Amino acid sequence: MTEVLSEQVGRGSHSGALLEVDDLHVEFRTRAGVAKAVNGVTYSVDAGETLAVLGESGSGKSVTAQTIMGILDMPPGKITGGEIRFRGVDLLKLPEDQRRRVRGEGISMVFQDALSALNPVFPVGWQIAEMFRMHRGTSRAEAKKKAVELMDRVRIPAAKDRVNDFPHQFSGGMRQRIMIAMAIALDPEILIADEPTTALDVTVQAQIMGLLAELQRDSNMGLILITHDLGVVADVADKIAVMYGGRIVENAPVHDLYKNPAHPYSKGLLESIPRVDHKGQELYAIKGLPPNLLEMPTGCAFHPRCPYRRDNCVTDVPPLYTISGTRGSACHYWREVIDEGEH
Amino acid sequence: MGRYAIRRLLQLVPVVLGTTFIINYMVWQLPGDPFAGRCGQRPCPDSYVTAMREQFGLDQPILVQYWSFLKNLLTGNLGTDFNGVSVATQLGDAWPITIRLALMAVLFEAIIGIGAGVLSGLKRGGFLDNVVTISTLFLLSLPIFVTGYLLQWILGVQFHVIEPTVTDEATIPELIVPALVLASLNMAFTARLTRTSIVENLRADYVRTAVAKGLTNRRVVGIHLLRNSLIPVLTFLGTEVGSLMSGAIITEGIFNIHGIGGLLWRAINGQDYTIVVPVATLLVLVYLLSNLLVDLLYGVLDPRIRYE
Repeated sequence: MTEVLSEQVGRGSHSGALLEVDDLHVEFRTRAGVAKAVNGVTYSVDAGETLAVLGESGSGKSVTAQTIMGILDMPPGKITGGEIRFRGVDLLKLPEDQRRRVRGEGISMVFQDALSALNPVFPVGWQIAEMFRMHRGTSRAEAKKKAVELMDRVRIPAAKDRVNDFPHQFSGGMRQRIMIAMAIALDPEILIADEPTTALDVTVQAQIMGLLAELQRDSNMGLILITHDLGVVADVADKIAVMYGGRIVENAPVHDLYKNPAHPYSKGLLESIPRVDHKGQELYAIKGLPPNLLEMPTGCAFHPRCPYRRDNCVTDVPPLYTISGTRGSACHYWREVIDEGEH
Repeated sequence: MGRYAIRRLLQLVPVVLGTTFIINYMVWQLPGDPFAGRCGQRPCPDSYVTAMREQFGLDQPILVQYWSFLKNLLTGNLGTDFNGVSVATQLGDAWPITIRLALMAVLFEAIIGIGAGVLSGLKRGGFLDNVVTISTLFLLSLPIFVTGYLLQWILGVQFHVIEPTVTDEATIPELIVPALVLASLNMAFTARLTRTSIVENLRADYVRTAVAKGLTNRRVVGIHLLRNSLIPVLTFLGTEVGSLMSGAIITEGIFNIHGIGGLLWRAINGQDYTIVVPVATLLVLVYLLSNLLVDLLYGVLDPRIRYE
């Protein structure tokens, strides 16, 4: 991070985590009505920490990430409440020029589909070098040299020969490596990876996850890993936030959640993973459909699909109950869920 | 790419042969005798007609005539017209004027068309977008000769902002209004094409990436968005250069510009085929070459295109 930025975004003086999302609300105003995509999401990431944000399509996990980055399409999107504090400074209140400097330097992002996320008409090296040229005023030649170094660092074979190639000339895994190289170019403090492996083969998925974990260890970044795939995050994440209907329904250190989920939805997700020792049994699936964001169910958004449902689930929105210091569950009957046994 | 260019050039040979043959064939097949009306009020004496026919080879079969046309074309000997004036000189006088007019028109198309398209695409549904949409529709629905006469009358006759007709020198300031008239249709189309392309690409993932990289708005739009959005627009502008040349016939007629169009117009009326054929051939060549150039340019603009 450059000195300029350090002055703008205060350093060290705050007590909270490096990045804090606090009670964030985001809506989409569409012709069909108001879709409440994010309804009071709170999470935090510190340096060197990996947070996995888990949820199905429409759970609000990507919208939250886009809001942190400041790349939400507005309109139709609208931030209706909450704060996003980076080093204690609310990014949502920052003027656009300062906000822009945080992107890429302070917080950067890796997208799901690298083929469409990279610009098709510029060489990959040029696109990486652009980070140095535009943020640091580095000369073309120097920036290109740094691009080659970064391509080496994310282990692209023969980086020097490939620096002038275009995105379509790379394989899916290599393209994602280039996206990552571009995202870590300026040593950001937070890296958001939005389903970075969803578009890739299973073997390549493991390599990319390994690379992300390694880069994070080396540079002590905070990593937000957005995914719908529980299997992907088990090895790399420190803590998990499970999202449903634009809310966080469970917050837990990764091992606790795997061992003993405290929300019926997380439990359902865990049970729907195919397991070797359950060979021959029918695969479990959570019944019903994800909630319609235009007409959210009353009370707990999960109640129409929940096997633990009681009458008050239909009327009362469950708060995020604290289970222990770092664990929370937004279920009125979390004790019941957690008691039901070890996994 | 070099091999591709050579292959494309070779492909042009049969096309040029075919089109020039058709031009020759059509022209010599037209009804009426080109020499019958050249002797004032009286019909021309048979001896004159026969002599002229012999001189210009009109008594030969069409294939022989075509062969001598090709020979003359390759040796650069365009001969004289029916009045004995060198065809090459006439072409040499008219050609630069039309080129100047057409280049100015392309420039207007590119600058005004792309500019208006980008502005309206970026602020879709805004005031400027509506202005551009309505005015382009207006231009597109007016035939070029209406636009031409209208501007000539308003600017030249009513308000005396310009001279209604262009002098023999056809200087650049004189050609501004005629070039705008010539450009009007393509300009409107360019604006609409640019707008559509911008709107399409504005939501593209790579634009979002560019924003996420922390680039200034100016760079996101001016480099990342524009570079992609302009690919179809530049292709359109290139392919339309050829038709712009033939469109110049009407514009040159309205503003009395002594370019290729005027030359062709007078030659057709005088049934002077010695002029019509070379001019038409030239227009065909310009059209073909500009198309080839666009195809090659396309590969430079869009690296995903492969020449194989």
